[in-house]
Amino acid sequence: LSHSGGVGALAQWVLVELQGEVEPRQSGDLAGSLLGDLHYTCEGIPVLIVGHHILYGKVVQLEKPFAVLVKEGGAPQPSPAGPHGHYTVTALIKTKLLFKTRPKPIITHVPKKV
Amino acid sequence: SLVIRGEKDEHAVLCSKDKTYVMKIADTSNMLLFVPGCKTPEELNTDPASCNIIHSQIAGFSKNYWELRRCRPKLKKLRKLLMEDPYEGPDSQKDQTLTFSKYTTEDLLSLIQASEEEILHQLQVIDACKIEGYWRILDFDYEMKLLNHVTQLIDSESWPLSKVPLCACLEELGSLEPREMIEHILLSYGRKYVDAAGEVFFEMREDKICRAIAQMLLRNAVKFNLSEFEEVWQQSVPEGMTTRLDQLQGLALVDKSSRPETIFLLKVEDLPEDNQERFNSLFGIREKWTEMDITPYIQDLCAEKQTVGALLTKYARSSMLNGVKVYNSRRPLS
Repeated sequence: LSHSGGVGALAQWVLVELQGEVEPRQSGDLAGSLLGDLHYTCEGIPVLIVGHHILYGKVVQLEKPFAVLVKEGGAPQPSPAGPHGHYTVTALIKTKLLFKTRPKPIITHVPKKV
Repeated sequence: SLVIRGEKDEHAVLCSKDKTYVMKIADTSNMLLFVPGCKTPEELNTDPASCNIIHSQIAGFSKNYWELRRCRPKLKKLRKLLMEDPYEGPDSQKDQTLTFSKYTTEDLLSLIQASEEEILHQLQVIDACKIEGYWRILDFDYEMKLLNHVTQLIDSESWPLSKVPLCACLEELGSLEPREMIEHILLSYGRKYVDAAGEVFFEMREDKICRAIAQMLLRNAVKFNLSEFEEVWQQSVPEGMTTRLDQLQGLALVDKSSRPETIFLLKVEDLPEDNQERFNSLFGIREKWTEMDITPYIQDLCAEKQTVGALLTKYARSSMLNGVKVYNSRRPLS
């Protein structure tokens, strides 16, 4: 494994951890779809709006940071000489936004009784 | 940089320059989304102008990840590989034929699941040497032959054991053995130093020499009468050296329950590397062990901050036998 790019700081990513599964509204791929909106309250609490649900989370500093690895090349047939593949460390993740409370539905329009 | 090492039938390990970690896949029922460039509240607070919407892409997601746990380097294989073709000396016919059981540093780095520093350190510990670019272990008989040349010379020259001159050794013994081998045996069994005049000397290691001679005696039979062995052993070591049973820790075991007491060869490096297998093996050899007897045979299993006591608690069960605390297997062994 090696450092991506040259000398200097590695990209810092953030992990967003959700309980359960994420499904696209219409059947189809997740790729390219909008997940939702992320906000922070004045106190720094992350708030995620997914579809018509709202989730409250918290910012957690990871005790054991993650490294994001990207696999490059590597011969399809492992050869006896030399490394068989190459992983590059693309980014480090030291923080995660953990959403583990039950999503609350947002009711935006309550018709008034006439 | 880091390297993942392991053959197809081994568990992958990740190695830094000097440490080894076991790699395990961890599963989570949660979903982990990776967001490059996502800002934390602290980062946004320092930039009050950022009230705009930042479009971030989720780079990917996963439900599992690799976890690293520091582990003991797996070095037993190193000795096994080098024992495929021990060096028997320049006169041996074996080296004439090209055998492929020879390993360079690069070969070892790709075959041994340990970091480079751990491998190089272990090569030193097992007294391996580089001959024509390949790491070799000496055949025991050849090693004892070399040691004998040196101890006999020390005796005939009446040199003090703490001041054996390198140059004189090379001069006197150079006609019998390769100079590299003479120097190697001195380095293996002595501590090198330089005196005020810049001359190289060796302080011979009494414990290591006595231990090697004990091994030479013990390998010829299944077991020995203890008192007979102790007598022969003392007579076999160089003048001025004193033999002690504690020099044989991890090499030989005394059976105090037999009449007369006996001693037999049991080398810790011949035992399994895995913790549970090691304990099974030891309890197969002897049902009940005292802590003092078993410690040399499990010491190398201790993880970074682990004690022998902790290992015994985990893998053995204790009981009292004739007022002495002994350990036996936790499970019935066939």
